[in-house]
Amino acid sequence: MAEQLTDLTVGLIGAGNISHVHVAAWKALGARVLVHSAEGAESLAEQYGLEVAPTLDGLLAEVEFVDVVTPSPTHKDLALAAIAVGKGVICEKPLTLTAADSHEVMTAAAAAGVKVYPAHVVRFFPEYKAAYDAVQAGRIGPVAVARFYRQGSSPAGVEWYRDVRHSGGVIMDLMVHDLDQAQWMCGPVTTVYAVQSPPNVDGISPVCVAAHVTLTHESGAISFCRATWGVPGAPFRTGFHVAGASGVLKYAAGTDTGFVDELRDDAVGGDVLIPAAARGESPYLTQLREIAIALRGGPEPRVAGADGAAAVYLAEAARASMESGKTIDMKSFTSSGAVA
Amino acid sequence: MKVAIASFAHTHAASYAYLLAQMPDVEVLSADPDGAAAPDAGPRGAELAKKFGIPYVDSYDELFAWGPDAVVVTSENAGHRALVERAAAVGAHVLCEKPLATEVADGQAMLDACAAAGSILMIAYPVRFAPSYLRLRALVEAGRLGDIYAVVGTNNGKIPYAARQWFTDAALAGGGALVDHTVHCADLIDGLTGGASAARVYAAANHVLHQDKDVQVETGGLVTITYDNGLLATIDCSWSVPDNGPTWGGVSLRVTGTNGSVEIEPFLPHVGGTDPEGEVFLAFGGNLDESLLATFLNAVRASGAPVPGKEPAVVPQPDGAVGLRTLQIVDAARRSAVSGQPVDL
Repeated sequence: MAEQLTDLTVGLIGAGNISHVHVAAWKALGARVLVHSAEGAESLAEQYGLEVAPTLDGLLAEVEFVDVVTPSPTHKDLALAAIAVGKGVICEKPLTLTAADSHEVMTAAAAAGVKVYPAHVVRFFPEYKAAYDAVQAGRIGPVAVARFYRQGSSPAGVEWYRDVRHSGGVIMDLMVHDLDQAQWMCGPVTTVYAVQSPPNVDGISPVCVAAHVTLTHESGAISFCRATWGVPGAPFRTGFHVAGASGVLKYAAGTDTGFVDELRDDAVGGDVLIPAAARGESPYLTQLREIAIALRGGPEPRVAGADGAAAVYLAEAARASMESGKTIDMKSFTSSGAVA
Repeated sequence: MKVAIASFAHTHAASYAYLLAQMPDVEVLSADPDGAAAPDAGPRGAELAKKFGIPYVDSYDELFAWGPDAVVVTSENAGHRALVERAAAVGAHVLCEKPLATEVADGQAMLDACAAAGSILMIAYPVRFAPSYLRLRALVEAGRLGDIYAVVGTNNGKIPYAARQWFTDAALAGGGALVDHTVHCADLIDGLTGGASAARVYAAANHVLHQDKDVQVETGGLVTITYDNGLLATIDCSWSVPDNGPTWGGVSLRVTGTNGSVEIEPFLPHVGGTDPEGEVFLAFGGNLDESLLATFLNAVRASGAPVPGKEPAVVPQPDGAVGLRTLQIVDAARRSAVSGQPVDL
């Protein structure tokens, strides 16, 4: 498997938070990494031993494909730039901020014969994959009612997340993972109903905010996604409950972890050197390996470009539902192209 | 690299065969000459090798004549010694299923044979590679638990009866639950203490569970160990997971020191639920056998061919010495269970 990735040169675009886990994965795969970023490229390169590409064109000229980990509003133009020179694209979620933009990217990619993959990393978390495989194998029969949730410390107090034109809001930024999960496990969506509390005002998201989205699926299944930007410092938690005609699958991160400590708060000792193997394989590594092999002509990964576009389409429909107070019919919903 | 699998008696042979078959730089050959005579319902021998998708020969003579670089021994426990000695004799490194042997004298002879041949002898204790255990060990090594004074370990499982009946044959297995399950926890403790030796062992065992299966060996057991450094440990090794339980069983290790406790359950992370058969337990903790095999094969590569009388360049853990220390605990537990009194080592 790893042999298929020898002599790999990856172009990392962006140097923010998520870039660190991507870099760790690329280094684990033995890849040479060039980084280009509006800011932070030098320090990232120094920290991990990467090469800085001062210009986007310079980076594109030298790499096999790009890994886009920039803020969401820039995804579209960066993906189009790579596609224009025939380079494959791995793009952090959301693929773009509107379905119209995703459609433009996917159309350009198809015309150029270039592959684009969204980094819907939740598909690579082993607990979600185990549930997906069990559903596919018919272990719980046809899915009837599924619930997914995702919550954490709000990022909206700082940086660009609070501006819906930049982040897309809590649904586009956070729930997009579970919209993808709902579609992965329950199949294509027919209708979307969404409510957010408190609502966005003039394109600005509240810092603490919850969104509830209910989907109906062609299969007859119904599903519910909850995303919460919680009080700063709140632990990040995810989970699901999938009920089928003949069984149930459920999971809540943070429970049954197999590791519980009752150590004194003031326990002292030397530095703890946790070996990498103690964390298990990072789902980001699993994801980037599988997609990189596909970009080299290997088997298709468990996520397609169209899945990224579909998740954006659902998130945009959710926003339309919030604005109108109505259920959105996905058969007739078209992207307005507006980001907020 | 040429890797031989000697016997399919142990159910773990399936896991090793599957993993080895996927490795592009590994050639695999297997033999299971005693499989045909086994009383088990499932396929053995050539038929099972075909199912695994690996090449097969009919005799151990052919297997060892192939000139393997490494041999994975997955026979009945009582057969480990003969196969490990043959592997060492043909200049191969060895990964041996646990427990090392059924008798301490056999185990010592295996260590001696491998040392004389310059062969690696690694013991298949996969729980050593569990992420939660590695995290615990890092905390212990950094002194975060303080001085460790007590451990409780459990390794409860379903009785391994349906797939392979030899597990409940005292002559082939060396005993029942005491032999099958004490060693994993004993190994984890060995790894935390840097190889502390047991000084006194007490064991109580019984036959209450699984009487419907006409099993003669003990099915329940509790083993209390006092180590030479003063550490106290008790291990529940019982086959106490019901036949209709949602998963095979599990391991827990609760370690208490002067700064507090840590409890790990490496096989606990799972997706739960129900299906028409009852409770669902989809474990996703990763494949520990994969880490175990990788550690062994990396050591084989790094060490090169064994040189008689010379220690291998890389001695992967857990090694034969751990295997022997944990076997000594099992042997003492067996004797204590019979006498009703603790056994001093």
